[in-house]
Amino acid sequence: MLPTPAFAHASDRGHVLLLPTGYYVTGGALAVAISFLVLALLPPDALGRFWRRHLPLIAFGDRLRTIVSLVSFAGFVFLIAAGLFGSRDPLSNPLPLVIWTLLWVGLAMLQGLLGDLWSWLNPWYGPWRIISRLIGREDEAQETRPPAWLGCWPAVFLFFAFAWFELIDPAPDDPARLAFAAGLYWLATFIAMLVFGYRGWSRSCEFLTVFFAMVARFALLERNEVERDEDGRLNLCWPGAKLLAAEPLPASGIAFLLLSLSSVSFDGLSKTFFWLGLFSINPLEYPGRTALIGIGSFGLVLTFVLLAAAFFLTVVLGQHLAASRHSFGQATGLLVWSIVPIALAYHVAHYLKALLVDGQYAIAALSDPFALGWNLFGTADMQIEAGVVAGADSAWWLWNLQAGIIIAGHMLAVLVAHGLAWRLHPVPSRAALSQLPLTVLMIAYTVFGLWLLATPTAG
Amino acid sequence: MADKNGFFDLSKTTLSRRTALKGLAAGAGLAVAPGFVRYSQAQSSAPIKIGFQSHRTGIGAAYGRWYEKTTAAAVKAINDAGGINGRPVEVIIEDDGTDPARGAEVVGKFASQHKTDIVFGTLFSHVVIGSAPAAGEAKIPYFVVSEGHHVASTKLNRYVFQPGITDVKSQIQSMAPWIAANAGKKVTQIFPDFAFGYDHRDYLPPALKAQGADVIAQIAIPPTESSFTKYFPQIPAETEVIYHVMVGPAVLTFVKELGEFYGSNRPQLFGFMDSLEATDINSPGLEFLDGSHFWEGSPRYAQPDDSAAQKAYRAAVGIDDNGAAVGDPKDVSTASHMFGCWETLYVVKKAMEDAGYKGPEDRAKLVEATEALTEFAEGPEHPQGPKTFNGKIHQCFGIQNISKVEGGKLKVVHKTKIEDGLYEPEGDYTTQAL
Repeated sequence: MLPTPAFAHASDRGHVLLLPTGYYVTGGALAVAISFLVLALLPPDALGRFWRRHLPLIAFGDRLRTIVSLVSFAGFVFLIAAGLFGSRDPLSNPLPLVIWTLLWVGLAMLQGLLGDLWSWLNPWYGPWRIISRLIGREDEAQETRPPAWLGCWPAVFLFFAFAWFELIDPAPDDPARLAFAAGLYWLATFIAMLVFGYRGWSRSCEFLTVFFAMVARFALLERNEVERDEDGRLNLCWPGAKLLAAEPLPASGIAFLLLSLSSVSFDGLSKTFFWLGLFSINPLEYPGRTALIGIGSFGLVLTFVLLAAAFFLTVVLGQHLAASRHSFGQATGLLVWSIVPIALAYHVAHYLKALLVDGQYAIAALSDPFALGWNLFGTADMQIEAGVVAGADSAWWLWNLQAGIIIAGHMLAVLVAHGLAWRLHPVPSRAALSQLPLTVLMIAYTVFGLWLLATPTAG
Repeated sequence: MADKNGFFDLSKTTLSRRTALKGLAAGAGLAVAPGFVRYSQAQSSAPIKIGFQSHRTGIGAAYGRWYEKTTAAAVKAINDAGGINGRPVEVIIEDDGTDPARGAEVVGKFASQHKTDIVFGTLFSHVVIGSAPAAGEAKIPYFVVSEGHHVASTKLNRYVFQPGITDVKSQIQSMAPWIAANAGKKVTQIFPDFAFGYDHRDYLPPALKAQGADVIAQIAIPPTESSFTKYFPQIPAETEVIYHVMVGPAVLTFVKELGEFYGSNRPQLFGFMDSLEATDINSPGLEFLDGSHFWEGSPRYAQPDDSAAQKAYRAAVGIDDNGAAVGDPKDVSTASHMFGCWETLYVVKKAMEDAGYKGPEDRAKLVEATEALTEFAEGPEHPQGPKTFNGKIHQCFGIQNISKVEGGKLKVVHKTKIEDGLYEPEGDYTTQAL
């Protein structure tokens, strides 16, 4: 065998290994448990009334929505062109940086904070309005909607494909490869929208819209539906308040929500010494993504199956404890909404570092998308400060921030579950009992989430 | 860097590293840019295209970032001085994801799609080993900056070269005289239990033996280990030197626990900077390293006796006196390895000029011209120090640094001689057909 020096560098995780992360894990688990106990003692209607309070802000209509989406579409075309003809370096080409960092990480965070920006920013709505008007299919009533039995299963499968591409494909950052994938997806989706209607397709089949709409349910801002000539009013609300009014999800919706959490969990898990050790892979001699396609595909499915099984089990147990008369489907479909804050917290905590560094590369790359020496926004020559996430000090505050986000996410999840359980079980003692198993799952997931951020990882 | 016609102009001396490197967009018509007037005296003004197989993502990304910075600085310096054979140099980066299979694919892309003149810049050994057959098949010269012994072992092929950084076998061997004379004669090795550690396990004992010292114990640590206290009782009490080469995220824990085990009364410590590349030596947990010694390829910290060439190199790459990025003091460089990119590009320049290289049809001539090189003098092109080159095994041999951790910095206390690291060649690439 040839000698093989390894350069696995000490990395920022090395600093985290020296922090007293065990205390955080214990503290996090306790915080989630205590939130459950406190909530069980609070009078339910007072909490609900408080939580539903909102502050009306401005009202505005949808007039600009087409234009915003058209601008976004133009930007998308520009990025695809950059992916095909710009620099081959994924840290200089704006396409991978915009899609993986600004969209998948940055926009997801903004959606969680500010509400459904994606419904305006998506690159389909504007072009769809124009083309459907040209071909005389603008009237929603004329559209052939996707058959009801499909539910949002297409979105589930597309999201799985997306997660596979992101986490397991050997080169999702390759500009040309990504340009083809993103371009074809745009086109296929656009054709489907012309056939099945924008609303019909985007609500149940276009996975990004389904994901972003789900995340937006958590946001601090909500906008009432625009009705006839009346503008939609923007309200300031408590985080997660919109989840309380949510309708029970069908099986496909449950699967989508669980998949969104399990995929980001697997992204963390797949790099841990623990996971690699299970397959006798030396993390210090990480063999690269190509060699791990089989194991990765298996793991992506496995984490989903395990999470789904654990979730269903806790709901069944909870319903049993509360002697519930509700159907299993109804209880699961409602309680699964409590996963949203956890999924969002994982997403933010997990990709925080990537956002801080690759976000800088994105800003620089956007100034010179075709590597022709342009400087469109004056940022082309900015220094990329990778040091922002390096060293013991950064490791300390990043860890505290990540741990805080994970713990807060789970505490909110307990709160949401509590609110939803009241809808199922108006008797306080039964509502509390019904949530007991789910709370145990959330405590376990808090521990798991913190462990993922604290345990040794490859790279 | 764009002129009024919107073309970017290579003749300006202020050419930024960004334009030099991001350079080649697929199919960008650089050769028609007005800036190339300056190169028109050469037979062809088309740029020399260097395919940079870069660890932009994956486990090697921290190294990849610094390899990119160093490469950009070297290309800028070469272009500012008139390019190679009067032609500008252009770098095309393809990310290999630090993945051997992807690496081979990238080499193929360079050869057939981008039609680069050479492939350059690979660090991780498994990517080198995975990519080398593709380079051999495409008959495209492949200049790696990996420090692995794989090139010199002559188990790769005639198209693979490592002319800018000494291989690990030579590095280890050259440490032995200093260790035996200054640190102690009874050495215990602690290394990770896989190929990287095995280089040290296998090459150090004979080298020490020749100097009248002995390895008295070898402690192999499983790569997934994250706590080390249970291994320390295996260190023999009579140990005078602990030779440690741990790598990975648990290195800080290793040092901290070693410190807790020994307290103030410890044997001498000798390590390889590979353990702490891109990591601040003053990080919490590393206090125990104070007074210990390390191998360094090129010194991380500026030294009082730095040559003018070394100073110019550091300024060009953009590292401050502590070896971190200028303006971003927490971004610690990979100083021990990245100089190899700079020096390799100058070797390529020299070999292309010797060969009268005109284009891909001259690749075989380039291989022979590289093999004909014998030594590189210390200077702006080789700021790390002088080197000899063995054309039969495609490997260079240079001086190494031994540095002491002192006052929170690494101070060079010894520079080895080139002869300290020479060994019997294990084969001869020049007998292979081109």
